[in-house]
Order: sequence, then C-alpha cells, then structure tokens
Amino acid sequence: MSFLNLDHLQKSFGSTKVVHDFNLNVEKGEFVSFLGPSGCGKTTVLRMVAGFEEPSVGRILIDGQDVTRLRPNQRQIGMVFQAYALFPNLTVADNVGFGLKVAGVPRAERAGRVTEMLELIGLPEMGARFPWQLSGGQQQRVALARALAPRPRVLLLDEPLSALDAKIRVSLRNQIREIQQQLGITTIFVTHDQEEALSISDRIVVMHKGIADQTGTPRQIYNQPATDFVAGFVGTLNRFDAEVLDAPTGRLRVAGTEFALGRAVPSAVSLAARPEGLSLADDGIPAEVTGVEFLGSVQRLRMRVAGREIVLDRFNAPSAALPEPGEAVHISTQGSSWLVLPHGA
Amino acid sequence: MKRIWSWGAIVFGGLYFLLPLIGTVEFSLRMRRGEYSLDAYRSVLADPQFRATFSYSVVMALLTIVLGVLIVVPTAYWVRLRLPRLRPVIEFITLLPLVIPAIVVVFGYIRLYNTSSILPLTGTASGTNLLLLCGYATLALPYMYRAVDTGLSTLDVRSLTEAAQSLGAGWTRIIGSLILPNVLGAVMSGAFLSFAIVIGEFTMAALLNRPAFGPYMQLLGANRAYEPAALAVIAFAATWGCMGVMQLISRLAGVRKTAK
Amino acid sequence: MMSRFGWNWLGIVPFLAFAGLFLVLPTMNIVIGAFQNPEGHFTLANLAGLASPRIVDSFAISIKVSLASALLGCLIGFAMAAAVVMGGVPDWIKAPLMTFSGVASNFAGVPLAFAFIATLGRVGLVTMLLKQWFGINIYAMGFNLLSFWGLTLTYLFFQIPLMILIITPALEGLKREWREAAEVLGASSGQYWRMVALPILFPSLLGTFALLFANSFGAVATAYALTGSSLSIVPIMLFAQIRGDVLQDPHLGYAMAFGMIVVTGLANLAYVIMRSRAERWMR
Repeated sequence: MSFLNLDHLQKSFGSTKVVHDFNLNVEKGEFVSFLGPSGCGKTTVLRMVAGFEEPSVGRILIDGQDVTRLRPNQRQIGMVFQAYALFPNLTVADNVGFGLKVAGVPRAERAGRVTEMLELIGLPEMGARFPWQLSGGQQQRVALARALAPRPRVLLLDEPLSALDAKIRVSLRNQIREIQQQLGITTIFVTHDQEEALSISDRIVVMHKGIADQTGTPRQIYNQPATDFVAGFVGTLNRFDAEVLDAPTGRLRVAGTEFALGRAVPSAVSLAARPEGLSLADDGIPAEVTGVEFLGSVQRLRMRVAGREIVLDRFNAPSAALPEPGEAVHISTQGSSWLVLPHGA
Repeated sequence: MKRIWSWGAIVFGGLYFLLPLIGTVEFSLRMRRGEYSLDAYRSVLADPQFRATFSYSVVMALLTIVLGVLIVVPTAYWVRLRLPRLRPVIEFITLLPLVIPAIVVVFGYIRLYNTSSILPLTGTASGTNLLLLCGYATLALPYMYRAVDTGLSTLDVRSLTEAAQSLGAGWTRIIGSLILPNVLGAVMSGAFLSFAIVIGEFTMAALLNRPAFGPYMQLLGANRAYEPAALAVIAFAATWGCMGVMQLISRLAGVRKTAK
Repeated sequence: MMSRFGWNWLGIVPFLAFAGLFLVLPTMNIVIGAFQNPEGHFTLANLAGLASPRIVDSFAISIKVSLASALLGCLIGFAMAAAVVMGGVPDWIKAPLMTFSGVASNFAGVPLAFAFIATLGRVGLVTMLLKQWFGINIYAMGFNLLSFWGLTLTYLFFQIPLMILIITPALEGLKREWREAAEVLGASSGQYWRMVALPILFPSLLGTFALLFANSFGAVATAYALTGSSLSIVPIMLFAQIRGDVLQDPHLGYAMAFGMIVVTGLANLAYVIMRSRAERWMR
C-alpha cells in the first residue's frame, strides 16, 4: 500500500471532462511531478488532492485514510501557490506560524517551530518583515515554510517557480528538492516546464488532455517516451519519415538510405531522435546544413533531411570546424538513440 | 448554508430598496379617489413653476459641468505632468467637500459675499447665480476630479505631451484636442454624476434663494399630498437616466479601449 | 531652474484660486466667526453658547443618527456585497445591483423624503398594507417617520448603496489563494475572516464608515423635506438659523457650523489615524 493513492479520479465541469480516469500511487517521501501543457488537467488533479475540487468519480487516500469527502482544512496538507499567496497583513513569522495558530499550538512552541522553519529556508532574520518587503524568491520560500510548519502529510506545489525569474527559479528549485529530501515529505509538484520536472523529480507523470500519458522516472520519460505526445513535449525531437522494410529485424529506409535498428519494430512507425543523439558521419542519411548556431558549450546545426527540418547538437570542440550553411553532410545511422514511436500514437 | 445567508442578505436588501419605489409609484397614482390615475403627474407637469425651476436647474447643472471640466481637466493634467509631488495636496483639497458639509460652505458664502463685503455677489441675481454655480462646482469637485484623474492614469501623459510639443502644438491645443478627447469617457461619467447631484440640490439653492428645482420640490412637499410622490418618481427616473447613460458611456469607452 | 518652478506653479493657480475662494475661505470665515463677537473681537462665548441644552441635544441626535445609519449602512452593504462577490448568488445579480447602487447612492435629498413618506408615512403603502393584511399599526406602536429611527431608515437608502459601491471592489481584491492557503493550513471560514480577510479590508471599511458618517451628518434636504423643522438635528437647526436667526444670536450659528466641521473633521481624523495603524503592512 503506497502512501498517497489516487484511485480512478475523474472530474467534469459541466459537460467538459477535464480529468479522465487518473490513477497514481505515490510512495512515502517520493517527489512526483505532474508535467503537461496548460489545460491538461494537472492542476485540477492537484486541487482535488488539496480538497478544493471534489472528484466526480474516484477516491483519494492518504496513508490509508479516505479523504475524498474531507474539507481542505481537515486533510493536513501543505500547499504552495504560484502567486505566493502570503497573507499581506501578517509578518513573515505570523505567516509561517498561521497553520500552528489555527491549530491551537501554544505560543512558545509556535515561536520555536517558526524559527526552525525560517532557518530551514535560510531566512532566519526576516521574521519581522511584511511580505511586500521581500523579493519574489524570498516570498516563495516563506510560502514553503508556511506550508511545512504544521508538518503536513503531503506537500503540494502548484507551479511554485513560474512567477520567478530564470536564475532564482533554478536555485529555488534545488532548494525545494533539498528540503524535501531532508524532511522526507511526500510531494506533488505541478509544472509545465519539462526541465524543472526532469531535474527535480523521482517520478514524472506526463499529462495530456486529462489523461496520464506516461508515468516514469525522468530518464524513462526522456529516453523511452511511451507516446508521440510525451516524446514531443519533453525535450526537442527530430522526426523522420521512415519506411519499414522488414519489421522483425527493424530494417528501415530513411531518405533513400537503408539501415537496420537491430530490434523488432511495428509495421508502420514514426522514427525520431533527440538533437544530442544524432551525429555527423562519413556516410549515412544525407542532409543539407541550413544554419549553424554556436551556443558556447554546444554547437547547434540546423539541417534539412528529405524536406524536414531537424536539429543536431554536438559538444563544442575548439579543433572541430563548423560546417557551412549549404554544405552537404551525412547523419550517422548507428546507435541506440533512435526512438521508435508507434505510428499515430 | 453560505448560500442561504447570501440570499437572505440580497432579498432583505432588495425588499428595502424596492418597497419605497413601489410605494412612491403607487402613492403618486392615488390622487383620484377610488382609482389609479396619472392626475398627479398631469398636475405637476402643468405647473409653470415646475417647468421654470426644472429648466433653471438643468441649465445650472450643464454650467456646473462646463465649469467643473474647465477647472479640473487642466489641473489634473498639469499636476500629473509637472507637479506630481503636489498630487496628495490637490487630492486632499478635492476631497474636502465630502468632509465639510455643504450647509457650512454656503453659510460661508453668505457671510463672505454679502452686500457689504468687497465682492458683493449676493447683491444681484446674476451674482448669486454665479455664486450658486461655484457652489455646485465645489460639490461636484470630488467626483469630477476622481473621474478625470482615473482617466488620466490610463494615459502616458508625459509622452503624449512631448509628442504633441515636438509637433509644435501649444498648451490650449494639447489640452483641448489631445488630453480632453482621451479622457472624454471619464469626463462624461464625472459630468453625469455632477448632473445628478445638481439637479435636485436643495440646501445651497434654498439658502441662496434661487428658484431651483430642489426648493420647489420641498415647497410642493409641504403643501400638497400626491404631487410630491409624482415628483419623486420623475426625479428617480432622471437620476436613473443619468447613471444609465454614464454606465453606457464608460462601457463603450471600455470597449473602444479593449478593441485597440 | 527657479523660474521653471515658478512657471509650474502657475498651472494650478486657477484651481487654487477657485478652491480658495469657494471652499477654503468661506469655511475659514465661519471658523473665525465662531471665535468673534459682533464687534469682531476674539471670544469663546459663542462656543460656550453651544452648551445650551437645545444645541447639545441637536448634536447628540445628529451624531446618533449618523452613527446608526453609517453602522447599519456598512453592515448591510457589506453583507449584500459579500453575498454577490463570494456568496454563491448567481452572477447576473451583480450588474443590476451595482447599477442600482450607483443610482440610489445619488438619490438623496427631497425626493427621497417623498418616497419614504409615500411608503412609511401615515398613509404610506407599507403602513397601509401592514394594517390591512396583518392588523399591525406601526404608528400605534410608536413608530414615527419623523424620528430617530425614521430618519435612520431613510438615510440607509443612500448609505447602503454607497457602501456597496465602495466595498465591492475591495472584496473582489481579496485573492482566492489567500482563502485557499488559509483553508489548507487548517483554518475554518471564521478564522480566515478574523485573521486574514477582515484585517485586509479594515482600512476600506473604516474609510467608508467615515464617509458615510459625514454623508449623513451634513445632510439637510432629506431631513428638512421629511420633518420640516420638527426634528432638531444640527443641520436643520443651522438651516433655520441661517434663514431666520432663530437662535437670536448670529454668532451662535457660526459656532454651530464650526461644531459641525469639528465633528466631521474628528471622524475623518480618527479614520486617518486608525488607517495608518491598520496599514502598517502596506507600502
């Protein structure tokens, strides 16, 4: 029995069904991300866990307890919102202590816990300030401390980094992960940013049109996408038109070049590859370079293969010459980096 | 549970607001014994005093709007452009009429501008009319200023002005053909509010002895039974008309802005 | 630079002249008059004259009516605004309510008095209906439109809408996330209101209360048309004094007017002080 069970959840608003049959088991201490474009239903699932929305069908269990019909204030859950949502009329310390105060925790004990939390987030001096006196990143850390102070069973993070600028986003995301591992708290993190999800999670649920397309570790999601959508949404993907010549051995023809993958494929496939999975070779699939971008550590080559635009990334090497636009090159057919996606999935 | 309370508040409030309106309409129709009739309205509309005082107040209201716009628009514009640090002071002054009762202000007029003073405005009818006009503009000042200032806040006053100046426009031209048209929606909403305030104003007109609509209504109320109710219905309809037009204009202005 | 500054000042001279001539000077004149005897010498006798029972009573009833109508106006207006903004009442109610409030908040003065006479006067619609349908004679029970409660009830007709107009945007400014954050932290609805929502709204509530108070304290027309001079609230007394010197001492009139300014001024001062306390958390 896992710690948090989402059992056949469905949610409709009027006649629109925004979540179809969502199932997920989260282990204690696990960090799970819901990743997907806006409107995919990820926030709705999170809000059902929090208790702000009631599932049309299905059950939610926390530590074996059915909480489906409980009100949010009975669930012992911590939540961090996208827009910080700190109470503007309370000091940082009072914000952090809010959950303890409403629970009737004595003042002295509360003060101790608040100090502890402020140290945890690295803002021990800020207790007397008001939210407006803090930067966005600091406010969000306080919001995290506020959510954690009453020792919730589950921590819900609703796009907590989206309102911050890029640099703070990265450092705060690492801090969130550190604190989460330190406390061992079961966490659900909602985001539309694949890099965020990949870097922070134990597991990722990629959602699409109210359905969980794939659930797996970040490496599984990236390297073995289960559906066309997952492959396209997570990372950059180059697609090739491939003709299957022999399914059992995986013999294919791409842009007039025949090669074998050495594994069985379905009778009709779409073939894809990550930019960093492709390499230039002396012979292979013919391509024409259309553009070259030098990004420092990476050289990004844009090219055309049989009418399709593709991108190839390779590490920078001071000695390697960059191809010129217009130059004819070949893409290596070797390697396990080819992704075979079921056709039309 | 929450919904029951909400409906309770709405229904309670709705009854409180609707009953006097229904009561007034009903009362205004009761003039003829035993049946409803429009006699009270007929009697009111036929009264030459009604027409005289009503048109006096309409003219005063229109003049108030003109005076208000002339005073408020250039000031609000200038303060935003050149004297932003004085804005709290100006705002404070414009809010004073909400704090100082109108009766005190008009009392001051009577004392300050009486026949034996340096500026004996109350000595002549036209002087008193002017005084009343200024009094009305004072009453409307908080509403007019807020409306215009809100309107200006949606414009980049500085850039607009600099652009116009670089094209060689003078101040009158900038305010008249650039700023004013851009805050027209706001000015209009201030204008209709002013109109609604002035049209039935009683205290100032009565104490300055001007033949305005407010004192006329009061006089009629003291002497007749059913006509006042008819007058109240007419006055309510006029206020409603002003507010309706105002909302319509602000909505149209809003549509135009979003369409841009 | 100096000349430029002087130039800038010129831009608001018309406004300052207008405000000075028709707002500040007349008011100052009354204030000064309150401290002068008929010969123009300084005196406190006028203010001392305010201590006469008639005038003290008039201030007392005025303040009572203003407090009651401001307080009830705030409470009822708040309840209605809250019902519309967050009470689960259908959305279509909001627009007509706001429009109506815009109209009703400006429907003060003489016609309002007529409306209430036609409704709750001795032969008014509601008075008659209560008598015919339920056998309740409110006048026999001691109700009188020309009284404290009658006046308060009438003033509420513009006080409630004014409150609705001002407080609705403030209520809409309460973020949904604040409520949700409080809920998920274990707070009940009551705790959320007491610890978060009301403290945030407090400055607006206070400001509206002060405005409503001043609004009814200075109102002449409604009361005059309703009661003639039979109910001695301050503005009515002053009105009669200006018209006909009923106090037999013109300078006592200045003192009364000064008293009115002091009362509304104090109400607003209290507002400013309490607001600055309540807004420590604001920028």
